[in-house]
Amino acid sequence: MLEIKDLHAGSEGNEILKGISLSVKKGEIHAIMGPNGSGKSTLAKVLSGHPAYKITSGEILFEGKDLQGVSAEDRALNGIFMGYQYPVEVPGVNNAEFLRMAYNARLVKQGKEELDPMDFDDLLQSKMDMLGMEVKYKERNLNDGFSGGEKKKNETLQMALLEPKLAILDETDSGLDIDALRVVADGVNKLYTKDKALILITHYQRLLDYIKPDYVHVLSKGCIIKSGEKGLALELEAQGYDWLTKV
Amino acid sequence: MTTTTTETANRPELAIRDLFNKSQSGNKTSPALKKFNQAALEKLEALKFPDRKHEMYTFVGTRELVATEFALAASGTIAKEQVDALIYSNSKNSCLVFVDGAFCEELSDISALGAGVRLTPLSEAIEQAEVSDYLLATVKDENDVFSAMNGALVSDGLVLEITENTTVDVPLQILYISSESKTPVLHCPRILIFARRSSELNVAVKFSGGATSCFVNAVQDILVEENAHITYSQFQDDSAWHFSKLRTTQKRASRFISSNAMSGAHLARCHYEMWLTEPGAELQLNSLSVLHKEEQAHNYVQIHHQAEHCTSTQLFRNLVDDKGRSSIDGTVVVHPGAQLTSSEQLINNLMLSDDCRADNKPNLKIYADDVKCTHGATVGQLNEDQVFYLKTRGLSEATARTLLTRSFAESMIQTAPSPQVAEDWRNVLLKKLGANE
Repeated sequence: MLEIKDLHAGSEGNEILKGISLSVKKGEIHAIMGPNGSGKSTLAKVLSGHPAYKITSGEILFEGKDLQGVSAEDRALNGIFMGYQYPVEVPGVNNAEFLRMAYNARLVKQGKEELDPMDFDDLLQSKMDMLGMEVKYKERNLNDGFSGGEKKKNETLQMALLEPKLAILDETDSGLDIDALRVVADGVNKLYTKDKALILITHYQRLLDYIKPDYVHVLSKGCIIKSGEKGLALELEAQGYDWLTKV
Repeated sequence: MTTTTTETANRPELAIRDLFNKSQSGNKTSPALKKFNQAALEKLEALKFPDRKHEMYTFVGTRELVATEFALAASGTIAKEQVDALIYSNSKNSCLVFVDGAFCEELSDISALGAGVRLTPLSEAIEQAEVSDYLLATVKDENDVFSAMNGALVSDGLVLEITENTTVDVPLQILYISSESKTPVLHCPRILIFARRSSELNVAVKFSGGATSCFVNAVQDILVEENAHITYSQFQDDSAWHFSKLRTTQKRASRFISSNAMSGAHLARCHYEMWLTEPGAELQLNSLSVLHKEEQAHNYVQIHHQAEHCTSTQLFRNLVDDKGRSSIDGTVVVHPGAQLTSSEQLINNLMLSDDCRADNKPNLKIYADDVKCTHGATVGQLNEDQVFYLKTRGLSEATARTLLTRSFAESMIQTAPSPQVAEDWRNVLLKKLGANE
């Protein structure tokens, strides 16, 4: 589904990713771990098409097509979802209205008819019920004044609606207490099906107790320095990153 | 005011004296009102119309206005249907309508207001010492020549009294509407509200439908007595010259919450003069302007903290496109002894074109040593992080930008005191943004 080949990328002339290769197939969950400043969030931004980050060499193929030059909205419409570490607050934009716009943009792209507000509300309610979210999420403005946990839940709700093929969750666990983490992780697990793929970017192993990855990669100084199965995460948790990065 | 500006320097003031003489000769109003008119005229002549260097009019070009020869408006007629369409659905039986500056009883409906609200024509109320003393005191301290001009030329107005402990259950709407006129006319509406101790009132003021040759020069005074709560909104939506002054005086533990919107005009200016005179008074002032084409909207704000433990917060948002111009000139004065004052001012400008202009001049004058005062102003384009966030959810660049532009206004619209007022603002202001897509 996603093929990253010897990717070099950075922003403002600084090369941050220095040759990353990664292959993610349908039905797989990959965890990308690494110390602060290793390039985890940069990778997420490059994958989502952030204009400040440029690919200097290498390529990213999504379903066989090169993503170079593809805008953020087209990536989203084609099924890539980026779950933010710090979801942006947008005061004045009603959450439910925004969700409907995003949902309908997807429908239009697929050549389908847009959902009217009533039908959309039914759909939204069903997703919210599934995730155990209160009605207040519909009434409030997009992430405006949300707590860290609320923002992440709202990201999960967006993922539930948009049903991406590939979801990249950037530090979804950061800033969450254990209860909020469990809610978000449960949500992600419910949404994850075998025809989808998931990339979890995280600093801590804790998230991986709830969402079990098939593969774990360690990123350091812009390179993947070790890949392995789930057990690698436990090793990292026990020993820290030092034993890898000092090599 | 006259079309010739070359002769004597005080020519416009002479033109006002001329209008004053005309209004007084045909006027059967009370001696007390005449005395007030006279005092205001003298003040006007002492203040003089502003030149470019006038501190209060730094950002507001009044030359064209002062050079225009206006006649005092005879009250025109407005069809009832036109008025009905402008009355909010929750104020059908609690509305005061002014046509061309004069109160129109036939178009007003106060049946839902109850006995706790007393309405008196200004010409009658001014015979009471309390009213005349107050008005004469405002003339004495007046610093704005246009407000003095209203005082000199006002032939009548309305005094509202909300009696002690009265909670007015329905929102009161005050509608100022102007009829079409081929020649330049001047309207001087005036309202004075006494909110007595522990009273509560929600009042929505709307200026509507001025013709391009019409100059609306309004003054509204509101006295908020001990523990009284006023929720106020003002919507400037006239396509004329618009000047309005809102002067409030707040007593102990009173609240005045104000949400205003300006849709701009050839030249629109709101002057706020707010006095917090006793401890514990709370003032909120929110204002939104949405301007395009060559519209202008200016705000001049003076907030006086005269007592301890008072709070004032101001939030201004201006959305300026095309060749629009906005300005906020806002001063907070913390008078000696007004300890533990808390005052905040924030101005956000969203500039959507290369030719628009937004001026901000925040001022703090602090004469007490234990206070918390902040001010800030931002000028910018849309937040690119927000644009990107929306794009990663599949919205196009254009849709994201439109949505964010609307949201900049919408977050202020949500401060409107009722859904009806909010909807009205939305219909007028957001439509302008739509036209520019």
